[in-house]
Amino acid sequence: MIAYEFKILTVLDHPALLTIAINEWLDLAQLPTFLAAVIAILTVLYTTFHRKGREGFKIREIAGLKAVEEAIGRATEMARPILFTPGWGGDIQRPTTIAALNILSSVAEKTAEYNSQLLFPTHDPVIMSVAQEVIAESYNRAGYPERFNIDDTTYVSPSQFGYAAAVEGMITRLKPASIFLLGTFEAESLILAETGNIAGSIQIAGTDSTIQLAFFIVACDYTLIGEELFAASGYLSKDKSIMASIRAQDIMKVIIAAVIILAIISALVVPLSDWWKF
Amino acid sequence: MARLFPQIICGFFGVVLFVLYFLKAPSAKSLYLTITSDYWQIIFAFALLVGVASFIRVNIKKLSILSESPYVITGLLGLFAMPVMALVWGIKGDSPFMWVFENVQVPLQATVFALLAFFVASASLRGFKARSLPATILLISALIALLSRSDIFGWLGNSALEFSEWIRSYPSMSARRGILIGIGLGSVTTSLRIILGIERTWLGKDR
Amino acid sequence: MNSTQSRHLAFAGLFIVVTVTMLLDISIVATVSNETKRMFDYLDNLPDSSVIIVSFDHEASSLPEMKPLGLVMLRHLFAKDHKLIGVALLAEGTGVGYRLMQETAKEYNKEYGRDYVFLGFKPQFIAAILSMGESIKGTFPEDYLGNATSQIELLSDVNNYDDVAAVVSLADGSLTTHWIEYGNEKYGVQISAAVAAAMLTTYDPYISSGQLKAMVGGLRGAAEYENLLGIGGSGARSMLAQSSAHLYIILLIIIGNFTYFRSRKKG
Repeated sequence: MIAYEFKILTVLDHPALLTIAINEWLDLAQLPTFLAAVIAILTVLYTTFHRKGREGFKIREIAGLKAVEEAIGRATEMARPILFTPGWGGDIQRPTTIAALNILSSVAEKTAEYNSQLLFPTHDPVIMSVAQEVIAESYNRAGYPERFNIDDTTYVSPSQFGYAAAVEGMITRLKPASIFLLGTFEAESLILAETGNIAGSIQIAGTDSTIQLAFFIVACDYTLIGEELFAASGYLSKDKSIMASIRAQDIMKVIIAAVIILAIISALVVPLSDWWKF
Repeated sequence: MARLFPQIICGFFGVVLFVLYFLKAPSAKSLYLTITSDYWQIIFAFALLVGVASFIRVNIKKLSILSESPYVITGLLGLFAMPVMALVWGIKGDSPFMWVFENVQVPLQATVFALLAFFVASASLRGFKARSLPATILLISALIALLSRSDIFGWLGNSALEFSEWIRSYPSMSARRGILIGIGLGSVTTSLRIILGIERTWLGKDR
Repeated sequence: MNSTQSRHLAFAGLFIVVTVTMLLDISIVATVSNETKRMFDYLDNLPDSSVIIVSFDHEASSLPEMKPLGLVMLRHLFAKDHKLIGVALLAEGTGVGYRLMQETAKEYNKEYGRDYVFLGFKPQFIAAILSMGESIKGTFPEDYLGNATSQIELLSDVNNYDDVAAVVSLADGSLTTHWIEYGNEKYGVQISAAVAAAMLTTYDPYISSGQLKAMVGGLRGAAEYENLLGIGGSGARSMLAQSSAHLYIILLIIIGNFTYFRSRKKG
């Protein structure tokens, strides 16, 4: 038999215990990330739920999003389909994919109204399932549920260039009037955008991959650069809560710019300072 | 209820994962990995079944279309043949699966990837014009970058190569950092909108 | 000449330039850039017999570019007697990674299980990186060949990133970013990378912030590295074709601008 001896100490009597407990539980190396995240959360909460935070601002015009209706109208006139694809680089966990699906919702609502065919090839079965739901609901919202065709939202291949070849084949054979390349793209970006260009499609692109932006700018008619893709949901829906959260981005940008300026001044005045290297 | 329940699950897991990320207790880490790895793989496995079923259904419907049938047959053949080879002979070493992978899939993929070079050629010819002052500056920078990567005989002096590195390290990187900060903030607010239930488009329901 | 004809001509020209220069089979000794030198010095200065993770984060499609890069990395690491743990975060990197490690290990008389091990593919790359931070053997209970990792000599003293000197990510896409964001930021493991040329600028910000220790990129990077190692290889052999293609693209840009200004002059 083994005998144990217990001794119970309280934090009130021994404050050092609290420090030990915190060190055991909290990853203090992540403190700067935690603080930045808390500031971001508070800013979004303020702009979204506080009356003052929601008023007195507007979103500038974004040419690529303004052209959405034109692109869909063109497809209706030409009696040709519209192709929307979210790229190979993302999965459903990526905010860029969600941002693309938000735009898909607005596009699908309009294609339902105009009775145009909307093709959605993807490399990821989870994105496919969510996109089918999003499109079906948009058709319902537009009042034309019978126009929704589940087979237009397809899973093609998980492989990067298998996916690129499949989408390229669809563009070449079906010659869509309009192509939306919105999401996370990698090396397949120019292959798809140039094929769309050759097919004579009007192309609206947007991605969070800085390297692929250059390709899209050269080959597409409109390109949503970086954060414009995330602002699209508010821009297209005109939902005040969503638009307010976009304002939070601007506030955070000002905070980041202020920290950068402070760091520059600090580095110039005190060359050995490194408080900003967290 | 159909909207509320998924939204509650989403918000709950969003908050839980956020908190777990900053904890270093072994139980917290283990829970974090269970959610991000095991749960995700279970979801993916079931979604893959739905995806493959959709692929088969769509392609079988297309079989009757003459212009599509060669592609459809090739796709379906690949879909069924590879798992059979993997199950019968395994996937390691000199198995038929690896032979097909190395001698069919790799060259096919490399071929599609190589198309990129041709499209870069056509895009360069068509789109890269000195239409304005900013476009001209970009054009000259691109030419310097390309030349520095093609300096096979040491034609360019060290200062030219250093200038190319300077373009990449300062003007180009500053611009990219600006875009990256915007993307980062966009990602944060989009994620928060979803966790807080402000954005519900992903549910396929009314905003 | 209409746009379709000029496009086809541009395609044909590129095909000819690349084919002819590939057939010439000339190796070129590339002038070593600061970037490649930094990567070489970084790996060279790691203590001998360090445990290093080599992560094959690429698809099969980019093999013509990634294979020369992978080979120079492995040759350098084996030459320094490091203990290598191979993993793949993309399914297609699995077979490729195993073959590359096996071939290079033979050149340096390295023994599987003692000097190197290949753990294979783990889906969900972010979860895989995080999971290895807790336990490498827990993440991969078996290696690629089906051996229990608890029985492998090389892994006997390796539990997680604390026992790993560095990670070398061989990537044709953005996967190195996840190594930086999760491996480096959360667990503090040092990350370096050998990447496709197109991805070089993507990782520049991480180099200047110190989150990525060093990187080498593209066929040119491979050729420069071969130069530093004092060996020949496919990097140097492919340099002429790639450089000629670059020069051809420059020519196309000049032609495009010439026709643009001529048509503008004509009004």
